[in-house]
Amino acid sequence: MSTVDEAWSVAMLAKVLKGRVEQDSEPVWVRGELVGVKRYPSGHLYFTLRDDTSTVSCTIWKAVAQRMQEPLVEGAEVFARGLPRVWEEKTSLQFNVTQVIPAAAIGAQAQSIERIKQALLKDGLLDPGRKRPIPAFASRVAVVTSIAGAAVRDIIAVAQRRWPSVELLVVNSAVQGESAPAELVRALRIVSRLDAIDCCIVGRGGGGKDDLTAFNNESVCRAIAACTVPVISAVGHEVDVTLADLVADVRAATPSQAAEFALPDRTEIGPRVAALYVALNRALQNLVTARRARMDRTRDRIGAALLEQVRRSERRLLTVTAHFAPALSRALDRQRGLLQRLAGQLHALSPVAVLGRGYSLARAADGRVLRRVADLPAGTAFTLTVADGAVAAHVEK
Amino acid sequence: MANAPTPTLGDDLKRLEEIVRRLEDETLELETALSLFEEGVGRLKAAQSRLNEAETRVRQVLDESSTGDGPLRIEPLDG
Repeated sequence: MSTVDEAWSVAMLAKVLKGRVEQDSEPVWVRGELVGVKRYPSGHLYFTLRDDTSTVSCTIWKAVAQRMQEPLVEGAEVFARGLPRVWEEKTSLQFNVTQVIPAAAIGAQAQSIERIKQALLKDGLLDPGRKRPIPAFASRVAVVTSIAGAAVRDIIAVAQRRWPSVELLVVNSAVQGESAPAELVRALRIVSRLDAIDCCIVGRGGGGKDDLTAFNNESVCRAIAACTVPVISAVGHEVDVTLADLVADVRAATPSQAAEFALPDRTEIGPRVAALYVALNRALQNLVTARRARMDRTRDRIGAALLEQVRRSERRLLTVTAHFAPALSRALDRQRGLLQRLAGQLHALSPVAVLGRGYSLARAADGRVLRRVADLPAGTAFTLTVADGAVAAHVEK
Repeated sequence: MANAPTPTLGDDLKRLEEIVRRLEDETLELETALSLFEEGVGRLKAAQSRLNEAETRVRQVLDESSTGDGPLRIEPLDG
């Protein structure tokens, strides 16, 4: 609550009001009836918009008025887009209009869109099952848009940032105006003829709603559906969804977003490649380590096998030796015993051996053995052989 | 414009993942393992160089026909 001492000037009031009204400068659409349309010599247009309860004074400045294609019809129901402004001189509020669309046109357009939509639905072109996925790593992306528009620049900027290795193939087409539908259809046909395209972005930069007509065109929608590669629509309008958006495989709100959908981000892929590099090296290393361990094991196995074979041979040799040696020696012993026995027998039979037992042998000078007394008359000289030699002997009597 | 179908980065990454998977099999022949590893290194290099590419190529596709059925011409588009 202010006091009298703090009273504002009228100008101050106007200024404060202006500030408050114009602070939020987002354009708004207002629906109303056109009354009191006047064109001033200055070229500006003045009129009032009204409905059952309120009226608002409206202006269309000369620059906008000159571009308007359709004249304002007194009494017509319209949609007017503009910004509320305060005219300080009169402290009055005006609606500063930049675009007017007859409500009838909107109605007719809406009906036409609905009819096309039903046709597309009937042909299955809006079937969610038709949607094709966008390849994860695009290397060639087609862009259907106006090369004069902002969309191309936005898409190039995103590609440069996210995925510079991509090749962008731009097919120029009008995106608004009467020639747009035919040009879009033609451009999409060209895209289908290009080699190795991963996906196609069809779109335009921002703009008013009446600029969306081409993207609600039936031929354009069917051309999108017929395109041989997945299509991302980017009609550049957050609020209004066009039929092209419905037919496209993916809908992006803006060309920049379309490029983001179409292209991977190298800052995300880089680490993945690095991880693969590590994994590849580790896998080989593991493999080599495992292989070496296996080789060691094999070598050990071979060594052990050889050793075992040697041992087996040794054991066999020992067994053989143990088995055969006693037999051999027994045989030898047997032979030796036999020999000894034979030698003993031989010895026992030897006359010399008999002499060893105390016998003696008498032999005549002619060597004849003297066996009987008769062989030895007194006086006979003979040789007496005993165990260790022979002596000359003589019979006494 | 007949472009030889060079593998995309996606192909390379997919193949690399497969190679790593195969190398994890200890029964793999060493000879095979080495050739897989070599292929992997090659693909990694290709992937890396793709990631490092600095300039996006922007070209315009032109077709003189009004229907889009004429001969195609591809020219650099000056931004």
